[in-house]
Amino acid sequence: MKDYVATIVENKEIACGICSITFELPEAPAVRCGQFGDISVGGTHLLRRPIAICKVDGNKVTYCYQVKGEGTQELKAMGVGTQLNVLMPLGNGFFVEETERKVALVGGGVGIFPLISVLREYAGKKEISAFIGFRNKGAVCGLEEFEKADTFVGVTDDGSYGEKMNSVQVFAAALEKGYRPDVVLSCGPLPMLRALKQLVEEKGIPCFVSLEERMGCGIGACLVCVCNLTSGAHARVCKDGPVFNCKEVEL
Amino acid sequence: MANLSVNLCGVTLKNPVIAASGTFGFGREFHELYDIGTLGGVSTKGLTMEARAGNPTPRIAESRGVILNAVGLQNPGVEHFIACDLEWLRSTGTAVIANVAGKTLDDYRAICEKLDGLVDMVELNISCPNVKSGGMAFGIKPQSVEEVTKVAKSGLKKTPLMVKLSPNVESIATNALAAQNGGADCVSLINTLTGMAIDIERRRPIIANNTGGVSGAGVKPIAVRMTYEVSQAVNIPVVGMGGITRAEDAIEFLMAGATAVQVGTANFTDPFAMPKIIDGLNAWCDRHGVQNVSELTGTLTLNQR
Repeated sequence: MKDYVATIVENKEIACGICSITFELPEAPAVRCGQFGDISVGGTHLLRRPIAICKVDGNKVTYCYQVKGEGTQELKAMGVGTQLNVLMPLGNGFFVEETERKVALVGGGVGIFPLISVLREYAGKKEISAFIGFRNKGAVCGLEEFEKADTFVGVTDDGSYGEKMNSVQVFAAALEKGYRPDVVLSCGPLPMLRALKQLVEEKGIPCFVSLEERMGCGIGACLVCVCNLTSGAHARVCKDGPVFNCKEVEL
Repeated sequence: MANLSVNLCGVTLKNPVIAASGTFGFGREFHELYDIGTLGGVSTKGLTMEARAGNPTPRIAESRGVILNAVGLQNPGVEHFIACDLEWLRSTGTAVIANVAGKTLDDYRAICEKLDGLVDMVELNISCPNVKSGGMAFGIKPQSVEEVTKVAKSGLKKTPLMVKLSPNVESIATNALAAQNGGADCVSLINTLTGMAIDIERRRPIIANNTGGVSGAGVKPIAVRMTYEVSQAVNIPVVGMGGITRAEDAIEFLMAGATAVQVGTANFTDPFAMPKIIDGLNAWCDRHGVQNVSELTGTLTLNQR
């Protein structure tokens, strides 16, 4: 974990309301898939924006973000050459065990971007099937990455691209046809994760989910971004997560 | 190289910059980034007798120039802190200030007795705006400020007592005097201002607790004014806080009458904010021929009106 002075080398809209920003860092960071960075957008914004790391290529790091509030609107307007502070890498990330060969990626919304980092780390080493849900055709992005998976199924909420279903439904349909992954890695909106949790618990498939929460410090000190564990304990999404074993976390 | 050390009611701090309670945990996470032994002190996450789970999430929101939080005193309990974190925190070499809160007067006495002699100072949280029983009830009226201070003081034979004051009151100077009358060795201010931020799409407050404590750069002028008023009213040391982001901000508080300062929200914006403030204080003093930073305290001259 370092607070890098990161220089924007590319910042562009890749789908409706979704941008991709690439920074050049002074060194190549050691990043595990599923980790995130805390980006300082400056100005009147006192909180940094915690965003999942999508791609790392040497000393270039790409994040994808949804333009939602003032901070991300300002980020979108920033040009090449702008320098921002980026604290990274943060959190635990995804990890696939040696014994786990078949990996299912189930993602929706902006949750698809940390799954791209998984694909980039494990493509060719594991048998990866990606079940990816987009809101509509205009939100479709990242296909060049997801097509690196052994199988990829993209769907939309309104059927404007692929079938009209969500990522959990299309994953469930694959299970019905006899597909059985050794582990499921997922990120997406909470209702999606809840549906997935129910499904994998019924089927007895190990599953890890990456959670999103409003954060303060990003490093585990302030206890702002907590979640409840099924054990009754609390965990910090930023430091103990963002990736949790699905059966150990309350959603 | 200026002398940055200050004497805060008998406790020598390496410099006047203290991590504010609730933004810094017990220091371990920030110590991964820099040596927290270089700080003047660390005020711990608010401790209670029993462990507390805190509020539901979201616990934080942002508004221009400020943030709102309602963590709700989540902490592992004072005994867990003493058993698992205190020795480590002491070993860093920073001054350890235990921030404590209670539901009842007996709670305050008991928690002070547990910490007496183990920490450099106890900071009494009687102003947490985010919990129903976080001591806020004790922090509003001057009579109850005096009473809870007396009770806490009765539990402390060796360790000095700092009372943290709420700005959400009729007169913070009157409450500061009440703390002094109750036996406080120093006061700290300001705790957060109660606020609300609304998600207009959902027509609901962003924070699950509905209201939250406002802090950050935007509250600084209020905090400086209150620091001045309190330092004029009492004859015990004052620790100022509220929106300190840079060394120049800290100097404003010192000139307004503070002996030391606390830094909270700035740690979120820049995790290295405090080391930078300490370096900046040194540079400012050198540039201005100030040999001891303590010389700056209370040097404000008001304009003639």
